[in-house]
Amino acid sequence: MSVDTATSGAPVGVPAVEMHGISKRFGDVVAVDKVDLEIGDGEFFALLGPSGCGKTTTLRMIAGLDIPSEGRLAIFGEEVASWPPDRRPVNTVFQAYALFSHMTVAQNIAFGLQMRGIRGAEADRQVAEATALVRLEGMEQRRPSQLSGGQQQRVALARALVNHPKVLLLDEPLGALDLKLRQEMQTELKALQREVGITFIFVTHDQEEALAMSDRVGVMSEGRLLQVGTPTQVYEHPANRFVADFIGRTNLLEGVVEGRTALRLDAGAVVAVETDLAAGTPAALSVRPEQVRLHGRGEAPQGAPCLDGVIGDATYLGHAFVYTVSMGAPGDGATTITVRAETGSAALAVGEPVSVSWSPATTTVVAD
Amino acid sequence: MPSRRRAKPEAAQQTAARPGEPASATPNELDAQRRARRTGTLIATPGALYLLIFFMVPLGLITVYSFATRTSTGRTSLSGWNLDSYERIADDVILGIIARSAWLAFITTVLCLIVAYPFAYYLATRPPRLRARLLVLVMIPFWTNGLVRVFAIRFLLGSNGPASALSEAMGFGTFRILFTPTAVVLGMVYGFLTFMVLPLYVALERMDWRLVEAARDLYASGAKAFWKVTVPLTRSGIVAGCVLVFVPSFGSYVVPEILGGAKTLLIGSYVARQFQAARNWPLGAALSVLVIVAMLVAVAVNQRNSANAERTGANSP
Repeated sequence: MSVDTATSGAPVGVPAVEMHGISKRFGDVVAVDKVDLEIGDGEFFALLGPSGCGKTTTLRMIAGLDIPSEGRLAIFGEEVASWPPDRRPVNTVFQAYALFSHMTVAQNIAFGLQMRGIRGAEADRQVAEATALVRLEGMEQRRPSQLSGGQQQRVALARALVNHPKVLLLDEPLGALDLKLRQEMQTELKALQREVGITFIFVTHDQEEALAMSDRVGVMSEGRLLQVGTPTQVYEHPANRFVADFIGRTNLLEGVVEGRTALRLDAGAVVAVETDLAAGTPAALSVRPEQVRLHGRGEAPQGAPCLDGVIGDATYLGHAFVYTVSMGAPGDGATTITVRAETGSAALAVGEPVSVSWSPATTTVVAD
Repeated sequence: MPSRRRAKPEAAQQTAARPGEPASATPNELDAQRRARRTGTLIATPGALYLLIFFMVPLGLITVYSFATRTSTGRTSLSGWNLDSYERIADDVILGIIARSAWLAFITTVLCLIVAYPFAYYLATRPPRLRARLLVLVMIPFWTNGLVRVFAIRFLLGSNGPASALSEAMGFGTFRILFTPTAVVLGMVYGFLTFMVLPLYVALERMDWRLVEAARDLYASGAKAFWKVTVPLTRSGIVAGCVLVFVPSFGSYVVPEILGGAKTLLIGSYVARQFQAARNWPLGAALSVLVIVAMLVAVAVNQRNSANAERTGANSP
């Protein structure tokens, strides 16, 4: 698997964060396993993966809250791997915010300034500026417990941004918000990042959030960084089976590579593909449900890869139908493919014989 | 990553409806509530009776006696109520005893805090299993007979004891500490340390350590994070521990009797003397009432402190 950074808006100049062979072990558990990563100045970068994949530990190592077991870590060219958090030019928006419950909003925001010896009128001015930036005017004298989740999140943002960090780290910042607020905050965070021009590194398990907000995404699983690329790259050209399955929904059609241009599917057909995998390697073809076309049995256009099956299940979503098409004998072992069809066409009944086809350009061959 | 999830801070916003007390209840609900209340009363009765007979009644008697008169033969006359005993408290000797008791209790409290905080901090930051074992170790002296412990200290500090022997061996001469205020303070610190450790431990154990991480992330050094975040967040534990140590130290009887000798007369011993040798029950009762009032004030301070902590989201034991 080649991790594609050359063509993906990868960092130019001194990277904001640079990791080489970074690992973190807690006892026998390897939380982060030899991660290499460069994040550019001004990038909005998402670390994406399921819980326990090591993304938060990676973030905490950048913050200095965990010290890497091995590897090099530089922030704007400066080796910081063993520095304590208070010496690093980064600030964190913590999961669940970690606001100081014994202080007011204004005192929370002023904390970092105070610790750096900025006091009096200058501190007041900067606190007012940060408060305005996150639109919390009028809340200065409240306690965190008197604020809503969304407001607390803004306090956490202001408390970090008031220090003008070189890199802002965000650990699942939207995780505690309800869906509607989360969507609002996605747009707002993106706008905020453009406004302040600071590198944002953002940890999330929500792939939609990662795709919607970030310039580039790093997908992690079991401590390893599997793929780094723009949202389009990781969605359209997943580096392996895990990424294909984790980002969006996909059909993984199992098969065996038959050479550089062909994949023999277990479901029967041999499809034309482009792959670097050696012949004989077990691999899967990732076909996105929205890229699959449904036809009456035998009516598929010539030339395109095509499979025959019957409708196994149909779900109506309002704006679309989702069909599950079963290939071959029903029962265990049968390959199924999920198809997403726009509403408008007549609904297909369960058991109806159909053919499915797709354009080869929209598919990717993935191995483990 | 070892992280305890913080409770969502929604609790503070719930002010109106309390559980079990809906704004408007249907007859069915009222009926159920009435039955629940009856059961509650029944369960509480034995405890309430016990407290009434063995706590409230003697307390009432003490209060009554504090307004009575001591006859010339040392008997207590219940006729002719007066404030004489309270007026006698203003006597310089008694005020001196009160001041000395308060001063030694204060020093004891401060020393307990200084010794207990790092220890509680250590306890609370251990892995849970080790924590449980260490807590048992803390409790062992607490379960041991208090008198035995005080006599052990008396032996330890005595002029024939090991401390003195060590001091002589090192060329500092005989160790003369027994029967001084220092010995009393040492004994009280030892005796009441558990009362300081436990609330501090609870406060530290409940603390959201991610706030300390947040402070470190916001340029606070380890020491600054401790003073600006850890200490304020465990304030309720500190106050509770101080009240729990100061109150029994102030009224302490056994420790000063055994370690203090005659030169450090404290209020506990003085009160006991009024009821025994001096046969001045009204004065003893008046002093007791004073100590109880002081204690109630301290408890009220503690209560308010916990209530405040709840309001501001700090941890309270």
